[in-house]
Amino acid sequence: MQQLLDFVSGPLFRLTFLIMILGLLRTFVLDLWGAWDAYRRAGDKKLAWGDAFSKTIQWLFPVRRVFTRRPLYSLFSILFHVGLILVPIFYLGHVQLWEESTGLSWWTLPHFWADLLTLTTIIFGLLLFLGRLISSEARYLSRSQDYLWPILLVVPFVSGYFCANLNISPASYQVFMLIHILSGELIFVLIPFTKIAHCVLMPLSQFIISLAWKFPARIDDKIGATMDKKGVGV
Amino acid sequence: MRIGLITPEEREKAFKTPKKPDVIEKQKLNVRYHVEDYEVGSRPRRFLEAFAVILKHTNYRFALEHFIRMSAKCARCAVQCPVYLATGDKCDIPCHRSELLLSVYRRHFTMGGMFRGRLFGNGYLTDDEIEEMAESFWNCTACRRCTLECPAGIDHALLTHLGRFILSEIGIAPRALVVSTREQLEGATGNTSALPVPALQDTLEFLEEDIFDDKGVEVKFPLDVERSEYLFTPAVSDFLMEAETLMGIAAVFKATGGSWTISTNYYDAINYGLFYNDRILERVIRKLYAEAERLKTDSILIGECGHASRTARYFVPIHCGGSKAKPVYNIMEYTHKMLEEGKLKLDPNVVTETVTYHDPCNIARQGWLVDKPREIVRAFCKNYVEMKPNKTENLCCGGGGGSVSIDEIRPYRTTVGGRAKADQIRETGAKYVIAPCANCKKQLRELLEDQEVDCEVIGLHDLIYKAIIFNDKDINKPKPDKED
Repeated sequence: MQQLLDFVSGPLFRLTFLIMILGLLRTFVLDLWGAWDAYRRAGDKKLAWGDAFSKTIQWLFPVRRVFTRRPLYSLFSILFHVGLILVPIFYLGHVQLWEESTGLSWWTLPHFWADLLTLTTIIFGLLLFLGRLISSEARYLSRSQDYLWPILLVVPFVSGYFCANLNISPASYQVFMLIHILSGELIFVLIPFTKIAHCVLMPLSQFIISLAWKFPARIDDKIGATMDKKGVGV
Repeated sequence: MRIGLITPEEREKAFKTPKKPDVIEKQKLNVRYHVEDYEVGSRPRRFLEAFAVILKHTNYRFALEHFIRMSAKCARCAVQCPVYLATGDKCDIPCHRSELLLSVYRRHFTMGGMFRGRLFGNGYLTDDEIEEMAESFWNCTACRRCTLECPAGIDHALLTHLGRFILSEIGIAPRALVVSTREQLEGATGNTSALPVPALQDTLEFLEEDIFDDKGVEVKFPLDVERSEYLFTPAVSDFLMEAETLMGIAAVFKATGGSWTISTNYYDAINYGLFYNDRILERVIRKLYAEAERLKTDSILIGECGHASRTARYFVPIHCGGSKAKPVYNIMEYTHKMLEEGKLKLDPNVVTETVTYHDPCNIARQGWLVDKPREIVRAFCKNYVEMKPNKTENLCCGGGGGSVSIDEIRPYRTTVGGRAKADQIRETGAKYVIAPCANCKKQLRELLEDQEVDCEVIGLHDLIYKAIIFNDKDINKPKPDKED
């Protein structure tokens, strides 16, 4: 068991973490490259930068949006995301591991807050899942990954919480730890290839919308020629 | 505690309008599509070919790539879409509509889709899917409210726009729009209403006489005056249906001494290309711009029309030389400027009734003309009330996206697209609703009639015409009695 744990927390962790970083980097760079190419071709290069920027900030910190439309859903979603982002990065145990292996360390969450945020993430993750089940609109739109993600994201939080807080036997500790690490690694691998890639693409959205309406100049002839319709009437 | 979305009962409650019997059943759009060289069976192939060509020559691909990675299917847009709120049909959720096109893109134009297709088979595009897209994309009024509400920043309106573009390339577009555009680009009259030049001249002379009778002021509609400051182009239907709006605009120019002209060569700002085809959009824009160059005007001024203003404002720079292109303004910008400079005087004691203002989606959604029209109205209307929601979050009149031009679907427009708007207007209790847009005016008149709302639709310059104060030197004769 210990050997298995050493393997998943050592080489496998490095591999999956690398896949996530490189995958996200690829997605981000491709997105930016596409945007740059579109900008290069755009007939009018005057973008509403300020407007796109303020909308980006509004959506990254959507506090103003909370109480306007669908307040419960918005509140759940925000509370879910806070813990989801903060705990894995700033949990003391995680930072210590980084320090041991790389020598880097940073600010950590106080233990009380780490626990609280873990619990909120679990609770609101499950509520979001339930919400998707209950809401007929969301059910109509959902693909299978949309149901699986909230569950999968909650697994490392639950197992991590057990490891950190419960007075359990070393054997079951190891089992929970194994679940904790493996589920985390599964998430790492999937992030770049699924909708969770929004963790890096989100800040680009508003700029992309405003750029997308900047069409290239004089497409009529080009499209007409390619489709063999040049000069053909309306 | 409730987590779900609105329930059917709440949706019902959200609409104060009592349901009329003919409203209960879902109004189907039932557009008679314009279909050329129609061969069943080859449509999917031709759709994909058109899609591929469009992706090659336009900028849509990077946005589609971004959207397929971001789409989280949260259903937030459902609470914003007036069409979905009215029909309750899940096919009308904006995110579902977008998914129709995104799924075709994912399956046929991405690496992942092709791999998956090889491994498991993902189904070639079918004729039924095209049929569904044709129905769904034309259910949308293109008001773009859903875009405001999408946390992932997916522009559903852009996807609908692209979907209609591809469909029109294979011959699927509403007949009404295609016939009008054909007249505009290839017909003898060169405008969507097929209004010949002599009729235009007659109309304008008639309006000049009317203004003289009303106000005792000699106002001219200047025709083909080279090197004017503004080339004024309204939606051509204004010459036929919105006489008072044009009289108001002419009066504003007279009172402020502005330099403007109407071209007799091309006098139609309507651009249905925005609603169904980017190539048509480009042709109309270039036709408009060529006229401004021929008459050597400094800028282009669009009348009270939402989509015409938006297309000219945003696509003239794109197709006619970027930042060097002649600037484009909406008439309300001119009037606002004159009011601010003190050149335009309005009598605050003329319009005493309650007045409310409807934001046309095409000029308000992106925050372009939101406060200026309100400042103009407040300058002379004492009883001004706001609708809720308003400004950039306004509700569509229900005739957006070109649907107002399709007369056959009036029941759809007035019971589905515009139902929420009718409630909103009724709630203000206003006597006048100002709609500075030719499409909104037509739609709102039909809507208020069908939904039995006691309110009059009016243009902003119609009201200004009532209240405008001319300089004493301009007034040639005393205000005549009505009996004369």
